[in-house]
Amino acid sequence: MNRTAIDSVDSAADSAVVSLDGVSQRFVTDSGDVVHALAETDLTIPQGQFVCVVGPSGCGKTTLLKIIAGFLEPTGGTARYRGQDITEPGAERGVVFQQPNLFPWFSVRENVALGMRMRKVGKKERSQKAQEYLDLVGLGDFGEAKPYELSGGMQQRAQIARVLANETDVILMDEPFGALDAITRARLQADLLSIQRKQHRTVFFITHDVDEAVFLGDRVLVMSARPGRVVLDQEVTLSSQAGRVLGEEMRRLPEFIELRERVAGAIEH
Amino acid sequence: MLEQMAELVDPLYLPGPQAVLGAFIDANRCLVVDENSGRTVCGVQNYYLWEHLIASLQRIGVGVALAAVLGIALGALMSMWEPANTAFAPFLNFLRALPPLGYIGLIIVWVGIGDTSKYLLLFLAAFPPIVIATIDGVRGVREDYLSAARSMGASSPQMARFVVLPAATASIFSGVRLAVGFAWTTVVAAELNNGIPGIGGLAYISGTQLNTALTIACIIVIGLVALALDGAIRWVGDRLVPWHGKV
Repeated sequence: MNRTAIDSVDSAADSAVVSLDGVSQRFVTDSGDVVHALAETDLTIPQGQFVCVVGPSGCGKTTLLKIIAGFLEPTGGTARYRGQDITEPGAERGVVFQQPNLFPWFSVRENVALGMRMRKVGKKERSQKAQEYLDLVGLGDFGEAKPYELSGGMQQRAQIARVLANETDVILMDEPFGALDAITRARLQADLLSIQRKQHRTVFFITHDVDEAVFLGDRVLVMSARPGRVVLDQEVTLSSQAGRVLGEEMRRLPEFIELRERVAGAIEH
Repeated sequence: MLEQMAELVDPLYLPGPQAVLGAFIDANRCLVVDENSGRTVCGVQNYYLWEHLIASLQRIGVGVALAAVLGIALGALMSMWEPANTAFAPFLNFLRALPPLGYIGLIIVWVGIGDTSKYLLLFLAAFPPIVIATIDGVRGVREDYLSAARSMGASSPQMARFVVLPAATASIFSGVRLAVGFAWTTVVAAELNNGIPGIGGLAYISGTQLNTALTIACIIVIGLVALALDGAIRWVGDRLVPWHGKV
């Protein structure tokens, strides 16, 4: 009888994968100063959205990511994942770090399969699945290699495969391509976008590069510093209509250029 | 030239290389000491020199192995549980400062003159560096390795097994290297009493008997074997931690 009502409550909770309710963060520095790293922030991220956060360093974007990841407990407000308070890190919120940090004592394949190993997935199954994801990020032939034998770009690919293979619901990425050369970076951006479109994952992507944010995001948040806060919440329609234009051509669209200007303008203010 | 220099000094104080080599060879073979009866003596102190060496290596092996097992366990506990660190750290630093020669007498009174006292002394010498290296290794695990594992859903035991232990291996291994070094420097003290067979005991006794050539031969053997052992440990370490210095 009450079926419909319950269903609708469920789907309302489902639609927001991550929700922040007045989340703020203060730090006390070693010298005793209080730094207001993040002003009260409300944010709702629906399933399958690719959210890019752009802003200068010190604007609190990494703080925001750490709160969602569960590495950091906010000093104010509540952060929720699918309706549940976030109190600690969890496999459903995987993180791709700025610096490659694959475990050097495992092979690339073992790194990608580690999350499954922790969940006690059988050896054969996890090895097979790890291979699928290595293929997906273009590292199919490098499963047996050690992480330190790969280039920086390849290590970042492997890191992405590690998070994808862990059946992560939300992928949190902290400037993952920041340390890469322009060519590798453009290729990885295109690959990430096509994977995200295929698998419909929810992504929270931090960058300081406006072009990257507009290129990748369905939605771009611009943050400013002291205290860190969201000053622009911009829907990006062009890439979500994609499948159409992906890759370099997109960057030449007049809408793209206009959006990029608008986002860049918001940062400067 | 070395020979000429050596002749400037009384061979009793500093025997020449030939005398040392001779002592080394004689200590490893049987000699006829009485032509008439044909009585022979093999090695020195009833053992060949290599038997003395093996006996000392065994003692060092037992002492260091024990120190490694208990030291890694205590180090892990102290690095992950602060009360344990507070409780044990002062004792550890106290122990570290003690000269083995200072308390060997006490240990003999406690556990007797047999091999137990020697194992215990070598264990006590090897234990602190391994504990300290383990603590350093565990505390020094890169923060982003821990974060990555936590956001992959690792439980605490999984964290220890898949991340902390492998990441700390390099440091633990250098602790074991140091410990073996300390064990060598302690082996003479351990073998001062009832230390035959034992290369440390032999070095000491031959000195008291003015067989200085043999003393020097023993010292050289100890040094060379210690070098070889250190090389072997490094070799194993390089294979266990091939990423060392690359990440």
